[in-house]
Amino acid sequence: MLTIESLRGWGANVDEALVRCLNNESFYLMLVNKAMQDAPFDKLKEAVETSDLDKGFAFAHSIKGMAANLALTPICKPIEQITELLRHRTEMDYAPLLEEIEEKSRQLMALL
Amino acid sequence: MTALNQMYDISEINAKNRKKPVLIVEDDFVNRELLNAYLQQEYEILCAETAEEALRIIHGNSETLSLVLLDLNLPGMKGLDLLREIKKDIDLSRIPVIVLTSDTESEVDSLNAGASDFIPKPYPRHEIILARVRRSIELSENKDLIRWTERDQLTGLYNREYFYRYAEIYDTFHQDEATDALVLDVSHFRVMNERFGRAYADEVLKRIGAELFRIVRSNGGIACRREADTFQVYCPHMTDYAPLARQVTAAACGKDKGRVHIRIGVYPRVDKTIDMELRFDHAKSAADSLRNSFSESVAMYDESLRAVEAFTERLLDDFRTALAQKQFAVYFQPKYGIRSPKPVLCGAEALVRWQHPELGMIPPGRFIPLFESNGLIRELDHYVWREAAAQIGDWRKRMGCSVPVSVNVSRIDMMDPDLADTFCRLVEENGLSFDDLHLEITESAYTEDSEELIRVVSGLRARGFKIEMDDFGAGYSSLNMITKLPIDALKLDMMFIRTAFHETGNTGILKIMLDISRYLSVPMIAEGVETEEQMLTLQGLGCDIVQGYYFARPMPAKDFEAYLKSK
Repeated sequence: MLTIESLRGWGANVDEALVRCLNNESFYLMLVNKAMQDAPFDKLKEAVETSDLDKGFAFAHSIKGMAANLALTPICKPIEQITELLRHRTEMDYAPLLEEIEEKSRQLMALL
Repeated sequence: MTALNQMYDISEINAKNRKKPVLIVEDDFVNRELLNAYLQQEYEILCAETAEEALRIIHGNSETLSLVLLDLNLPGMKGLDLLREIKKDIDLSRIPVIVLTSDTESEVDSLNAGASDFIPKPYPRHEIILARVRRSIELSENKDLIRWTERDQLTGLYNREYFYRYAEIYDTFHQDEATDALVLDVSHFRVMNERFGRAYADEVLKRIGAELFRIVRSNGGIACRREADTFQVYCPHMTDYAPLARQVTAAACGKDKGRVHIRIGVYPRVDKTIDMELRFDHAKSAADSLRNSFSESVAMYDESLRAVEAFTERLLDDFRTALAQKQFAVYFQPKYGIRSPKPVLCGAEALVRWQHPELGMIPPGRFIPLFESNGLIRELDHYVWREAAAQIGDWRKRMGCSVPVSVNVSRIDMMDPDLADTFCRLVEENGLSFDDLHLEITESAYTEDSEELIRVVSGLRARGFKIEMDDFGAGYSSLNMITKLPIDALKLDMMFIRTAFHETGNTGILKIMLDISRYLSVPMIAEGVETEEQMLTLQGLGCDIVQGYYFARPMPAKDFEAYLKSK
């Protein structure tokens, strides 16, 4: 079960996120749970792998907003990076970045 | 707290009543829930996950919605496009929009598109968000209060008074820019109002207002509703207004293509040293010059109109002197009964002529419509009635006989509560009988305020005066209304003779008009009869009385006296 401590241990900036969540721990945990279930990680991967960079950008951008608001720091960094690259339709090998995002999200999912 | 808020303590009223509705447009669950948590204590929260859904909610709550919080990165229609939709719609543009974004570039775009503020992502402390929401709502409410006083309630455009003030402000910021003053109106708006109803006419005005709002928003300038169906625009100079006329006409018509015709009067490259209202008076003169034209939509204020205006000014300036010096002469034009094979002189119409000492003889068409438009006609009418009554009295005294003379009674005279007394006094003072003075009332007067008019006319008839309905057929009366009117004769509008004999050669319409007069059991008088052919045709159709150059032109009193003796 997801706890404040396990999130902190994973690397989330829990203090920042709690301020944003009106210091309501269960509200924060509920949002993280729901966000991780809904976030379009798979769709992002699929779009980028099929070279639909604009679609990829929309998914990345949406994950970025959510992750930033919940201060999911380990995911924030690679997702910000990929968002900017996709915004400019940069042609490159996205596999390492996608892998990093997948890895971080898998870690977080394991905490749920 | 603003002064007005203190006065009425609006916040307290609001707290007691329902919360103000705020719409959150955000597809991400987390972001939506966070905003909801921040605002739900103070506001009623509505949510939409797409721009399309948001637009439906906004339209459904356009009058009450206090604020929209808008995420730019939406699936389908984008947030920035939704923002533009809101800001270009006259009914929605008052709603403040705060944009939610993590990109600095988008912040500039959204402020340019009309966003009142933005909130960055990740969200700042919730107190900051709440403060920004409160401030945007308060600013927009203050703006609403100002709008309420400076806007026309039907169309949302400025009202006339504020428009002139804003036009002056516009000038200070566009001093060296060529600027045009426009007056737009709807041809025969009154008729449309009567035919299709007030609600329909209001819809047309609203559509025109919305289109003008859209046009000045994209081309620059400002617009207002001047009054009734008249609009004004003050905008950067354009060389060709035909496309704008087509655009506004199309918008005004909506689905009913061709039903509405818009006239535009343009005073191009206004002289910025003259009074603001005068600039629009010039544009109005240009628009009025299109009054009888359905083929033209745009008229420019130019040298010829300037000359007409100068002439008009002159006539207005000289009016009082002309009355005092009796420059207005009453002429008499004979009327002939044609029911018997040999036409018989049966009356005359008193017509006014202006013998101006410097401008010469001025035809009535140049000054009567002018005096009708500013009310001076009332004084002129009284003058003509006095002169005509005195003349008939004089003939009666000296010759022992006369014929009935009809005088024109203008629309404005009908509102005079002393009208019947005035005529009774004229009859009495000049030793006339009531039958000596017939009163011609133009048909268009009847359509204005029929009930009241019928009451006045019935009063005059009860005193013994004969009433002739002048210009019959030109005033758009409904047949149903005509049957209720208290009248003693119909005077066919001159246009019917002109059309039947000169243009179409088809006299069918005359027969219909005569059928109406027979149905009402009143005689028909035809004006403007110029040839024997016309007279004989009218006689053949059963017309009762004719008047026109065929028998005699209008003539001065002494000529008419000789004419009377010879007959």
